Amino acid sequence: MMRNETNDRECIAVIGSMTQAMRAQKALASAAVRAKVIKADSFDETQGCAYAVSYPCAQEANVRSILQHAGVRVRSFSKGGWR
Amino acid sequence: MVYLDNAATSFPKPSAVLYEQERCMRDYCGNPGRGSHALALAAAEKIYECRTEIADFFGGAGAENVVFTMNTTMALNMAIKGLLHRGDHVLISDMEHNAVFRPIYKLAREGLITYDVFPTMTLDPCRSAETICRGIEARIRPNTRMLICAHASNICSAVLPIEAIGALCRKHGIFFVVDAAQSAGHLPIHVGQMGIDALCAPGHKGLLGPQGSGFLLWGEDVVADTLLEGGSGFRSLEGTMPDEAPERYEAGTLPTPAIAGLCEGIRTVRRLGLSNMERHEREINRYLASMLSQIPEITLYAPMHRGSILLFHADGISADRMGYELDQRGFCVRAGYHCSALGHATLRTPVGGAVRVSPGFYNTHAHIEAFAKAVSEICGRN
Repeated sequence: MMRNETNDRECIAVIGSMTQAMRAQKALASAAVRAKVIKADSFDETQGCAYAVSYPCAQEANVRSILQHAGVRVRSFSKGGWR
Repeated sequence: MVYLDNAATSFPKPSAVLYEQERCMRDYCGNPGRGSHALALAAAEKIYECRTEIADFFGGAGAENVVFTMNTTMALNMAIKGLLHRGDHVLISDMEHNAVFRPIYKLAREGLITYDVFPTMTLDPCRSAETICRGIEARIRPNTRMLICAHASNICSAVLPIEAIGALCRKHGIFFVVDAAQSAGHLPIHVGQMGIDALCAPGHKGLLGPQGSGFLLWGEDVVADTLLEGGSGFRSLEGTMPDEAPERYEAGTLPTPAIAGLCEGIRTVRRLGLSNMERHEREINRYLASMLSQIPEITLYAPMHRGSILLFHADGISADRMGYELDQRGFCVRAGYHCSALGHATLRTPVGGAVRVSPGFYNTHAHIEAFAKAVSEICGRN
């Protein structure tokens, strides 16, 4: 069963708008961190859908620093991207 | 057919623009910012690419400052209605297009704002940035919240000293809104250096993109109320538009093919070189003015300004009639008032307006010679 199954080696930074998620992805890509824009509907049950970037959890500290430096506001970090 | 109506919309479009629009519709036209499947993301990538291109080309702070609109008029309405409050005072120039004048006039008629018109001294050979700014400063009131002006006129080639006006607005804490309908892709613009809070521009004129691809480039830290509300692709459970720009201002689906085309239009302008294009258009305009001025029946309006637009009238022939006759001979120009009652009053054109000729980068001296010959013929000279 694939439903809601997550990949623990992937982490997620929930961002918000598509533009900010793209900005985050570009900032990470320019620092050679592989990241993918995903839709994270179920990460916030009060506001509704948000865009997020998923990245290898091994890069967690690096990602936080890059996004902070790029001025990308991250709503939450969590473990477990979609497979 | 000789196309001389580039101030209305540029034509022909570069092949790179046509190709990218077609490629978009064929290969990646998902809905950008709606969902995250491959096509939606591919479309979103292109939208982001174009935002970045625009921000970079116009000295904007970043991609998030670029709001796509249908056209300049929509961008201007967004800035005007999003930033003004009841009791505000606004300054507009005496050369404004109805895209500025009508929203301001409506708000004033409803008793929400007041406004004054400042002189651009377009017909004064002694005009300077200092004299124009003095005229503006004399009209600033304690409640003046916004100044709106066209960077370049849509009926002649007069250009306003945007950098000096921007500095004046900064000094007085006034929002500076620029209508770049005739300057984007023709003249250098740097939002940051020119102190512009809202740059409103079309994609389909000097930037060589398709119709439907306008934009508003916000200056840094400008937050406005929304003109439209609707789907934004995220925070869907909330009743209000999100705070995050640009999505805050972009309710509904964006025209991805038009925006993809615009991106290539801007790249074409970069490749050709803004200064090369400007130089060519000035030279063609100078040649046009020199040829038309040899016809005794012709009056040129503000011909001392050199750019890409020339306005004229022929004695005894209405502007519309001249436009019709030129069309019959294969020349595309625009006759009448050009949606600018203020501008025509300032230039003192006759009843019925005048004929606007706006050559573009693709026009040649041979086109101008043929055009002048046709005008001369219509005036009964040949």
